[in-house]
Parts: sequence; structure tokens; C-alpha cells
Amino acid sequence: MGHLMGIQYCQDHVLEVAKNIALAVHKAPQITGKTDVDVEIIWGEDLEPIIEVMGPVGQVMRYVKWDYETIKSCYEKGENPVVVAVGARTARSNLGWDCGACGFDTCKEFNKYAKENRGGGQLGGPSCNWKALDFSIACDWACAAAWQYRVDNRVMGSLGFALNALGFMPHMDAKIGLALGPPRDMVYYSREEMHQSMTYEMDKQDMLNCVPNLFTAFPGGGTPMYKNKDEWWAPPEFMGMAYSPEVMEVMQQVLFEQVPEIVVKHADKIEARYKDKDK
Amino acid sequence: MKKYVEDLDFRGEEYVNEWTPWSPQDIRRKKGALEAARLMLNSAQTAPFAGGVPSVEAHIVYGQEELETVARKMEEIAHQKEQWKEPFLYEAVMVRDSDVILFIGNTRCHETPLDAGCGLCGGGLDCSYFYEQKNQKYGLVDITDRSSKKEIDGPLCTARVSDLGYAVGSALWTAHTLMVDARPFASIGMAGMQLGYCRNSGMVVGVPVAVKSKNPYVDVNVDYHLINMDKVLDNTRKIYQTARIIRGFDYRKWIPKPQKSDEEDE
Repeated sequence: MGHLMGIQYCQDHVLEVAKNIALAVHKAPQITGKTDVDVEIIWGEDLEPIIEVMGPVGQVMRYVKWDYETIKSCYEKGENPVVVAVGARTARSNLGWDCGACGFDTCKEFNKYAKENRGGGQLGGPSCNWKALDFSIACDWACAAAWQYRVDNRVMGSLGFALNALGFMPHMDAKIGLALGPPRDMVYYSREEMHQSMTYEMDKQDMLNCVPNLFTAFPGGGTPMYKNKDEWWAPPEFMGMAYSPEVMEVMQQVLFEQVPEIVVKHADKIEARYKDKDK
Repeated sequence: MKKYVEDLDFRGEEYVNEWTPWSPQDIRRKKGALEAARLMLNSAQTAPFAGGVPSVEAHIVYGQEELETVARKMEEIAHQKEQWKEPFLYEAVMVRDSDVILFIGNTRCHETPLDAGCGLCGGGLDCSYFYEQKNQKYGLVDITDRSSKKEIDGPLCTARVSDLGYAVGSALWTAHTLMVDARPFASIGMAGMQLGYCRNSGMVVGVPVAVKSKNPYVDVNVDYHLINMDKVLDNTRKIYQTARIIRGFDYRKWIPKPQKSDEEDE
């Protein structure tokens, strides 16, 4: 007997759905049959370090900013978003196929290189590409399972970066996060969190920066004008390329100062969980 | 309103049976597998891709000669490398036992990387691992020299390879949903690449599809290339005929019967 009302029980149930998704990840077919894949589920206060790391990265990466704003907003509103973290051991090949996809002639050479360069990238790496395929098939099954349960979700490299930086899943080389819930439509697509957060000018400038050829005028002169206003010819404007110390400085600050500062605050606590688990 | 002849004549019957192979009733069954493969491909195309960028191409291959060609290419590759011998030979048997092959390739992993500095390929903070090993100018990779001493001309952009994985994953998810048997194979993908399927791709995965009473891709035995259903059936054809010859008699005149026991006689 019972009577469930309101939205809270649905929000709570997202966690149960996450566990079903974890089952799907473990069931995902593999090409090699030799790739270790792991899944963890993170929610509640344990999301705070992840959100905190995404904050400064969002300053230099627009797509991270929207991921950050959305998860943070859902969390602060008490909507209980859940992160399904998927990881895999991809930086070592035990296949012996010597196929060349990694850039080395043999798996042995790749393994030697990978041992010296493991985890140097923002999302991990280096990778045996067949194992990367196994990993991404598993990630896709996480997404597909989430859709099957009709829970809004989005697989995010930004979460993968945060998981990596904070030392989640220390035995895994490649990591990605699937943001899950809350139970409503269009959480991670056409996001409400983006409303009122940008101006018309900002949106237009993004397009001009990212897709300049759409705005390129007659190129016959060799130095085309750019149509960035209604009367773009009066006066005409041109584009140039240059090294930007400002952009690079902000990026360096974020990656090598701000993120490490946040990581230091939380890393021990996170590391301790894995030590306790290993015991 | 125009009425189409096929609408007025909407009636019929279809007999379906996987035995005997390649008979009309078996081909009707295969057509179902083909429809499933097409839906799997739709799913592959809607998989999540980095930046929403289209980067997947596919080939759907079916027919006795077409599958035999793929199987033979796999057997050819099997004998080029000791470590591939068993899996490639075993999986060639699975191809012959399949109804359709779905080849899915990524057209960007060798030529137009994500350029996001993710580090997945070489573990660094930029894309230099990829570009420094490629014939390229201003970041534009020249792929016109298609000769390669390796099966796959790496390094590849692993972010794009991951997109391929998502596509294959979605195809497999739909196969499971439709309850048709399918698995992803490197061997079939490499054979497909050499045969020119998905020829714009730097990496291809082969996903054979079957709708049979026994899933062709699991529960294989040792020396599967020597001991499998085709071989067993062919061996039956070989020995049974001879067994008949050595026992010939005129059934119209006499058929041997079990000898009656003394008790039955009483």
C-alpha cells in the first residue's frame, strides 16, 4: 500500500536508474574482449568537487561552461542530478595485434611509450584504439540505457576531465561522465540554464569566431572583408591571426593554477575512498 | 484519390524457414535481418558524436558471394600474422554463417581530427602526437598516399575513433533491442577495409548480423575453422553416400527386418 506524490520520489529514483545503466555498461559488447571497464555513480555532496573543477575550466571552454552551469544549477535547486562515471584501461595493449592504429609498429613499442606518457592528456591517453573502441561502445551503452529509461542525459568530456583531475577511478586511463536527470525534458539540450546568460552580440560574435567563412565577403582581393554588421562595408573590417598571450595566460592559469588548487582540496578524501575499497 | 494496385491486392503469405540455406524461405528470413541492419545503421548515425560532427559512413553487405568474399579476405589476412591466425579463421566461419554485414567506418580519424587537444591519442596536452607523424601542411593531412605497411595507417585521432565506438555501440544496442544477433569484429572490419568498403574511413568495424536459431558469434569450439556446421554437413554428404553403397539391396523385393526373439515367436 502506498501513495507516491510530487517529484521527489522521481528525483530519488534517478539513482536507481543509474544502477541499471551501470549494468548495461558492464554488459556492453567488446571487440577485443580484453578491455577492463568500470562504472561509478556519484551524486549529492560528492558532486561538489566535480562542479568546482568545471567552474574555472568553463572560463576558457564554452562547452564546459554550459555543462558546469547546468549541473550546478540542478544541484543547487535540489534536483539531485547523478553522474555515471565510466572508465577503461586503454593505455596498455595486451592484444599483440601490431595493427599500427596507435602509430607504432608493434604493441610492445606502444606499451613502452604509454608507460612513460600515461595520463598526460586532458582526458587521459595514450590509447590503444581498439580498446578505445571498447570503451566508447560501453559509454554508448550507458547513453542508450539512459534513453531507454527516458531520463534526460548527456555524455560529457568536461566531466571526464574533472574525474581525471580529481583522481576518480585511479586505475582507469580513459574516463567520461554521463550526466543523468533530473526527471524533466530538455535538461542538457536546449538548456534553460543558458537563458539570460548571453547577449545577442555574444552569440553573434561566437559564430563569427567559430565559423568565419560564413561571414567572408568576396575573397578575390586576397584580403577579404568580414560581414559582421548590416552595413559591413562601412567601414569594412578584416580578420587577422596572432598569438594571444591573454588567451594562453588564462588557459595556463586555469589548467596549472586554479584546477590544481581545487584538486589539492579534495584529492586526499577521494584517494582515501579507493584505498579503503582496496583493503 | 488514386488507388494503387498493391493497395487493392494487399494479401499474400510468406513461408519462412532457415532450412535449407539460401532457399526462398531462408532468403525471406534474411530480408528481416537486412531490415534490422538498416535500423541498426540509423541508430549508429544518431549516436552521440564529439561536437555533433558527422563522421560515420557505412556499408551494408549481403548475399552468398559477397559474404564469401569477405570470409576469404579474412582467411588471407589470417595467414599473414601468427597472432591473428585463430581469431581471423574462426571469425571467417561466423561471416559465412551470417545474414548481413554492417561495416561502420570513421571518415575523420585519419584526416580531420577533433583538434581539441584531448590527449587521448598520445597522452599530451595538444594534438602534436597525431600531426607530427602525418604527412601534413598547415594541419591539413595529405592522405593521397594510401600505401601503408600496417593494416591501419596510424596514428589516428582517438577522439574520432571513440565516435566510431559510439556509432557501433548504438548499432549493437538496436540489434539487442530487436533481438537479432550481432557482434563487433576487428577482423571483419580490416577485411572490409582491404576490400574497399567504407573506403573514406581510417578505421572500420565489421558488425555481422544473423537471425538464426543459434547465435553464430558465441559458443564456438576449438579449431572452429575445421569443425563447424558447414564442415559437419559436408562430411555427412561425404560419408552417408558411401554408407548406402555398401549396403545396397532391392527394397521392392526384400527389406531386412530385426530378427524376432524366441519369446516373441511363442
